[in-house]
This record gives sequence, structure tokens and C-alpha cells, in this order.
Amino acid sequence: MVSLPVVLAAGAVMFGIGLYGALGQTNTIMVIMGVELMLGAAMLNVVGFLRYSHPHGTSGNFFVLVVMTLMAVEAAVGFALVVSVFRHRRTAEVDDLTDLKG
Amino acid sequence: MSDFSPLAILGLGVVGASCVWLLEELVAGARPAPARALRGLGTTLRAPLRRPETYDNALFHLAPGLLVLAAMVALATVPWAPGFRGIDFQAGALLFAGALAYVTPAMFMAGWGAGRPLAVVGGFRWLALMLAYAMPVAMVITAVAAPAGSLRPTDIVNVQHAVPMALVQPLALALWLPAVTAVCFLPPFDLPQADAELGGGVFSEYRGLDRVLVTLAQRILLLAASGMTAALFLAGWHGPLLPPALWMALKTAAVAALILWGGRRLPRVEVDRALSLAWKVANPLAILAIVIAGGLTLAFYR
Amino acid sequence: MSDLATAIVFWPAAALMLGTALYVFITSSMARAGLLLLASLGVEGLVFLALASEFLGFLQLLMMSGEMVIMVFFMVMFMPDPGGLMGMDMTHDKRRSASVAIAIAVGLAVVAVLTDWPARVAGTDAPDVRAIGYEVMGRSMVSFLFAAMTILLAMVGGVLLAKHGGRFGIPAPAGEQRGQEND
Repeated sequence: MVSLPVVLAAGAVMFGIGLYGALGQTNTIMVIMGVELMLGAAMLNVVGFLRYSHPHGTSGNFFVLVVMTLMAVEAAVGFALVVSVFRHRRTAEVDDLTDLKG
Repeated sequence: MSDFSPLAILGLGVVGASCVWLLEELVAGARPAPARALRGLGTTLRAPLRRPETYDNALFHLAPGLLVLAAMVALATVPWAPGFRGIDFQAGALLFAGALAYVTPAMFMAGWGAGRPLAVVGGFRWLALMLAYAMPVAMVITAVAAPAGSLRPTDIVNVQHAVPMALVQPLALALWLPAVTAVCFLPPFDLPQADAELGGGVFSEYRGLDRVLVTLAQRILLLAASGMTAALFLAGWHGPLLPPALWMALKTAAVAALILWGGRRLPRVEVDRALSLAWKVANPLAILAIVIAGGLTLAFYR
Repeated sequence: MSDLATAIVFWPAAALMLGTALYVFITSSMARAGLLLLASLGVEGLVFLALASEFLGFLQLLMMSGEMVIMVFFMVMFMPDPGGLMGMDMTHDKRRSASVAIAIAVGLAVVAVLTDWPARVAGTDAPDVRAIGYEVMGRSMVSFLFAAMTILLAMVGGVLLAKHGGRFGIPAPAGEQRGQEND
């Protein structure tokens, strides 16, 4: 049967996968995908808490709505940055963007 | 989640798809010949599945399945008669929009998986088109749900027992019809598979079972879209004298016939014109429709 | 939903969600990666449904479809090898990032399992969608407006950033004007 720790553990695994993507991928779009997965894991946790410890509340729903908004905003700004960088550098690989490295 | 009946919906899908075929023939002015159509279906089914030359076979063969799934889920949310519906969720109207949104990835998968230039072009066209047209669908649903104060399709039907929503919100209906026609990739919005422009587009490579599934999915989509139009705008099963289910069937058939007839009459919309219509006209007007719906709700439906 | 129905939907859906999420970073085809991400986040909507949040689940289905399809579009645009036909490696620091990710996932999971969460509250019915509406348009109105403004800002900022010449109106270096033949 499903319980709160199970849901949270699934969220943790999803967060780990997203983190692996965000750290290990070389392309900016793939990094954005990793971040989306991490935000998805956060939403999963909120929904888990909502179901198992606060089933009659509505404010948790609102948190998820905000996270969904955040996902859309993050993707939009991320894509805009990628377009902008690609215009000037002809690449979207994060390894090539090292100008500010000391 | 009352009376969930997947089998009934499956049956309804198949029967309804044949009815849509009949309607297509009638609208085209042809004499329907079921025996010949069945023979044609058999021939198509016997043809072997095609392996595209790219390695994305999985995407290619998954796409028709995803199309049918999306169409069936959309069909299941339509309230057909009091007590006869597939799924009665609180947010059923939202699920309808959500199911229709999955036509987009399916088309992209079909185009990409086929690996032919024209098919890929069709997939990308569809992507651009659907991003523009999925939004009016969702916004019009919001506008129609506001008077009912509920996203449950049954409630939306019941709030129209006196006046159909089409009379109250003609703007929403005017936005909704082209948008759902586009979602069903029917002419005049058949841009992804346009025969004359792209030689079949995303579906040009489909043979055998895949082809049958794609056709089935399109007809079920049309059925679901016209059923939802009847439920959201034409007061669903409410009507004098006749039994509720018959009213619903008549209204659905009328909407489907209107969409098919319009498709035969109107020239195909060009991609750039379709896009600029959607972004510059349909989406702002949809926001206006939501504002109007808010005013109407405050004035009459409280 | 009853506990049994929750379990029947939750376990396969969660497994599918995690499996597709992992496969996003394994496959070398960009179209597949984007569609797998869509599958993962779409199935997450199903998980929400299992956890009695049908409104959020359907909203997730609807939102993710559009968002991930745009993602696929950008991936095909900006990836050197969108079809994955050459099977090129797109990772760096694979071992270190994997170990960091595994360590953090295990740590979080251990916390989740070992913490003494408050006892479960009774009531598993889906919350009334109308109540969510009142929450959004009532108590949380200000934060909702803030989220809306954030979206608006992101739209304006995104267009400004991505437009020809960037936000300062400085044209891109010569490669831009010559068109796409420049690699």
C-alpha cells in the first residue's frame, strides 16, 4: 500500500534523477530538463503531503500551482537565454561558456 | 468517480466512428456503401506495417496508439445522457482539454518517426499550429465553466436547462468551433497531413493497422469534439418531447455535420495565416470571452 | 479513491514515471529525450490522480503536454545531433554527478522513511475543485497575482532576450547575418 514515506521516497528518487541530468548533461536544454524533473519531484512531495497529512486543506494545491507556473517561467527564460547565447556563440553547450571562469 | 465504464466507451467509440464515417459520406454527397467500405478496411488491415528507415520505429508505431488513447479519453469525458458517461470527474472539462493536448506529441512522433522530410515538416507545422489552437480550447472551456461554477461537464449541461450557452456566449462558440476543428486535424485545418501540399504529411508513411488506427482516432476525435460542443454550448440532453439521449445524439450529429460540411466548403488555411489568426485574433478574443463570461456569471448565474 | 485503488494506480504509474525520467538522460535521440520527459511528467499527473488530487493531475497533464512539446522543439533546434544517429556522448563529469545525485537521492529517501511524520489524517476524497478556486481567488489572491506578474515578466523578458540583437540592441557577430550555413 502507499503511504507518505513511499511518496516522498519516489520524489527523492525523481529529484536525484533530475539532479543527475542538471549536473551531468552538457547541453543547456538538457540541463533545463533536469531542473524540470527536480521541480516535478517537489510537486510530487507537496501532493503527497496534501493527501496524507492535510487532505481537506486547499493551500497545498496552491503551492503546486505556483510550482507549475515556475516550471513554465523557468523553461521560457531558459529557452530565451539559449536562443540569445546561440545567436552569439553558435553553441548551446555549457562547457563552451567559460568566459567568467577565473 | 462514478460509473466508470471503459467497455461502454470503447463500444461507443467504434460505433460512433462508423456513424462519423456515414456522416462523412452523406456530407460528401456519396451514397454510403458499407460493404465496400468494410472490404476496403479489410484490405488495409491485411497490409503489413511499414518499418521506417530511421531508427525511431518505436515513436512511429506508438503515435497511432497515443492518438487513439487521447481520443478515447476525450470521448470518455463527454456527458452523453444523465447517468451515461465514461468518467464523471469534478474537473472533467479540464481532462477533455488535457486529452486533446496529447494529439500534439502524437503527431510530432508520427512525423519524426516516419523520417521523411515532408512528414517531419508536417509534424513541426502541427506543433506550431496546436500550440496556438490548444489555448483557445482551454480558455473557452474556462469561459463556459464559469456560469456553471463547476468544471464537471454534467453541471455545465445542467446549468443550460433554460438557455443554451450558445445563445449566451456566441463569441465563445465562434472561437471554439475552429479550434476543435484544428484539434481534429480536419479540413480546413488539415495542415499536418495536407494531401496537396505535403503528400499526406505525417500520415503518408502509415500502412495497415497503423493507418486504420489513425483514421479511427480522427473520427473518434471528431465525435468527442462535437459531443463536447453539444454538451457545452447546445444544452446537451435538454430538449422538449424527445428522450435525452436522442437529443444529445441529434445535436452531436448536427455539430459533426457542420464541421465536416465547413471542411468541404472552405479552402485550406495557410500555415502562416492560421498561426497569425490564432495568436492575433483567437487568443485575445478568448481572453475577452472569459471576461464576458465573468460578467455574465456575476449578473445572471449567481 | 480507496487505498486499494490508490495503490493499483500509484505503483505502476510511479515506476513508469521514474523509469522514463531516468531514460531521458540515457537515450541519445533528442526527440526521444523530450518525449520521454513528457511521458514522465504526464504520468506524474496520473500519480497526482492516484493521490486524490484530480484537479492538479489534469492540470499537470494539460500543462506538461504544451511545455514539453516546446522543449522537444528547442532540443531539435539546438542539439548538434538531434536524431541521435551518431550516438554522441552528451555528458560531462558523469561519475561525479551520478554519485552526487545518488547520494542526495538516498539521503532524501532515508530522511523521508526515517522521519516520524504526523499520523495520517482521515479523509481521502478529492478536495472540492470549487474550494481550490476559492483558495486561489480568496486567501491566496495576492500570491496568485504575483505568480501571474512573474509569468508576464518572463514573457516580456524572454522575448527581449531572444529577439534579434538581444536586450541591448547589439547585433550578433557576423556569423548571424550570414544565415544558417555558419556552424
